[in-house]
Amino acid sequence: MIYAAVGVLVLTVVQGFDDTERLTAVTSSQAMLRWAVPIMLAGLGGLFSERAGVVNIGLEGMLILGTWFGAWGAINYGGWAGLLIGMLGGGLGGLIHAVATVSFGVDHIISGVAINVTAPGVTRFLSSEILTNYDGGSITQSPRTPGVGRFTFPFLAGGDLFGWTTPDILGWFTDKDWFFVSDFTGLARGLVSQLSLATMIAFALVPASAWLIWRTRFGLRLRICGEHPVGGETQGINIYLYKYLGVVISGALAGLGGAFIASPELSGIYLEGQTNGRGFIGLAALIFGNWRPGGIMAGALLFGYPFGVGLRDLDGSASHALLLVNTIALAAVLAWALYRRRRIDAGLAAGLGLGAAVWYFMSTTVPDWWISILPFVIVLVVLVFFSQRLRMPRADGLPYRKGEA
Amino acid sequence: MHKRLFSLLAILLSFALLATACGDDEEAETVAEPEPAAAEPEPEDEMADISVGLVFDIGGRGDQSFNDSAAAGIERAVAELGITFTEASPEPDGSNRGELLQLAASAHDIVIGVGFLFEGDAAAVGAENPDTMFGVVDSAMLDFSGDTPTPFGDNIAGLVFAEHEGSFLVGAAAALKSETGKIGFIGGVANVGGLIERFEAGFNAGARAVNPDIEIIGDYITEAPDFDGFNAPDRAKEIALAMYEEGADIVYHAAGGSGAGLFQAALEQSDATGSKVWAIGVDSDQYHTADAGVRDHILTSMLKRVDVSIFEMIRSVIEGTMQPGPTTYDLSVDGVGYSTSGGFIDDIADQLDAFKAQIVSGDIAVPTEP
Repeated sequence: MIYAAVGVLVLTVVQGFDDTERLTAVTSSQAMLRWAVPIMLAGLGGLFSERAGVVNIGLEGMLILGTWFGAWGAINYGGWAGLLIGMLGGGLGGLIHAVATVSFGVDHIISGVAINVTAPGVTRFLSSEILTNYDGGSITQSPRTPGVGRFTFPFLAGGDLFGWTTPDILGWFTDKDWFFVSDFTGLARGLVSQLSLATMIAFALVPASAWLIWRTRFGLRLRICGEHPVGGETQGINIYLYKYLGVVISGALAGLGGAFIASPELSGIYLEGQTNGRGFIGLAALIFGNWRPGGIMAGALLFGYPFGVGLRDLDGSASHALLLVNTIALAAVLAWALYRRRRIDAGLAAGLGLGAAVWYFMSTTVPDWWISILPFVIVLVVLVFFSQRLRMPRADGLPYRKGEA
Repeated sequence: MHKRLFSLLAILLSFALLATACGDDEEAETVAEPEPAAAEPEPEDEMADISVGLVFDIGGRGDQSFNDSAAAGIERAVAELGITFTEASPEPDGSNRGELLQLAASAHDIVIGVGFLFEGDAAAVGAENPDTMFGVVDSAMLDFSGDTPTPFGDNIAGLVFAEHEGSFLVGAAAALKSETGKIGFIGGVANVGGLIERFEAGFNAGARAVNPDIEIIGDYITEAPDFDGFNAPDRAKEIALAMYEEGADIVYHAAGGSGAGLFQAALEQSDATGSKVWAIGVDSDQYHTADAGVRDHILTSMLKRVDVSIFEMIRSVIEGTMQPGPTTYDLSVDGVGYSTSGGFIDDIADQLDAFKAQIVSGDIAVPTEP
């Protein structure tokens, strides 16, 4: 919460320089949520798999399966069924990955790449068999998909409560146009008004995953598969079973992310190649988030924000302002590195920050590609400076055979 | 353990191969030739054994746009010229375009690549198959490496369009119909040899010809060499929503399959605010090709008659008059135009026809760069 407040304060101050209001607009935070959801779900998927000790680089393929099955399910049985069937499709991809890596001991990377390569072929085949029979469908795309409902929170954003329109508290503050306060409530109101139920479910999965992995017997057993499977085996835990469960849940979550991409929240259609590598970004969010649900959510929002704002930024002013945000972020990194007496990091941060600052003051607009690479730059910066503080599950990616204890 | 590993790899590999193989089989499905009408006394009978291999662009048949227009052209050629054809779609990353062309060339008299991305592959495959005629939509198929541009080969034709002229007319329609004085343009991919910029230039010029003060918001989804922009309805939707929220009430797209996102945005924005906003389609008459639910928001479409160009190219081969290098299909031969489906622009048809006449006569020179 404090981090969020500081972040919004920075955005508010910075956008004043560029005379734009996009950085803290309601629509910007809504776009951020929309674009964060598939990344976050892919990241959460990776979490379940890697906590069970199986590296899942096949998330992209499972996302693709999710887009196809999600669209197919939504068209035939409605929006909710689409999400569910998308999960099943992704889970199927997870099951294949589990069979390969857990039962047969295939290298996790090889199996994951195989899934990424196979998934588009499978969906192309299914499209040619099934979607081509639909009106408006073809070998590469589906007709329009129906979605699920939306929800506006009562009181916070003036949603209906049993037929009574509640006061719109955040909206009232936003309309006052008070410095910082209105910006903060503006962003916050975007998070609670006209929210897709699918988005709400996706974000509810974050605390649910944390509870499941850290507060239940199932979670403890899942984690021991990723930390010390041999030790778990001596305790009589069926490691293979938990690894299977972890990887299948992983696929199902990625499949839900895919179904979300194909839902009207984002595309409203299945189209070949529409995932655009978001499974890999989810993997980056997983690493960024230090293999923890809260961190994954933060990472996904951090990646989703420049995506959403960048697309909405029709005159380039917000992208330009984000350069200054980068400068400030790097200055913070510099201060941290100095405090920790890490000279190389400090030098690097100073150099990068200075570069961003110079670029900011020398230009009035930035090219489109800048904002599309920004999420990846953030990952690189985080990995460069904070990689020593990241800790992956100890037995993640290592082969495990039953009976080696 | 190693044995198991290998057997699994074998299974995985054969699965992958199977999936790809099945896919290709489906794509290369031969379309049966309908019975030529017996009463027609045209000299088609001797040409009835002409066969065409059609290779689609990203998006494939059913993109409700560019490729569907090509499909319409080949089907007209089947009906009127009595040809046979097979069709294929490249992989999503386009890596097998050359192979598909080669495959088509080995079995057909004419090979047509739908889209400028076939330029390089068609030039190479065309040189290897001098007896097969090649046509590439949207590329001039000229070799610029010498002092003067020359066609890549005597058997290679480029089918190009005056997109700026068609875009001029829909730009004029947008300006005549806009109530807010603000309109938008969404391009798929910038810097593809200025191809999409031609749409924007024509659209802007047409709108300003009607209303010099009109405000036009233009944006591109991606920049070459990132071709995701033709395949990203989610991004097109986000951009379109932003444009509508800024007050634009009509948005034109030249973004292939991404256009579905624009239509979705028009529908959602209209539903959310209660005031109707419009989209303008591109390439084919999207009032008919887009989903029925968004139809009422498609004001008109800029028609790029890929069907006309493909039909005319096949006919020119049959008649032995094919021109190597570029053939331009412009307003004067109805190679471009606008659609009137839905009847939303019937009231301004006279003004648009007047513009069209001025362009054809040369009184208005439509720019090709914004």
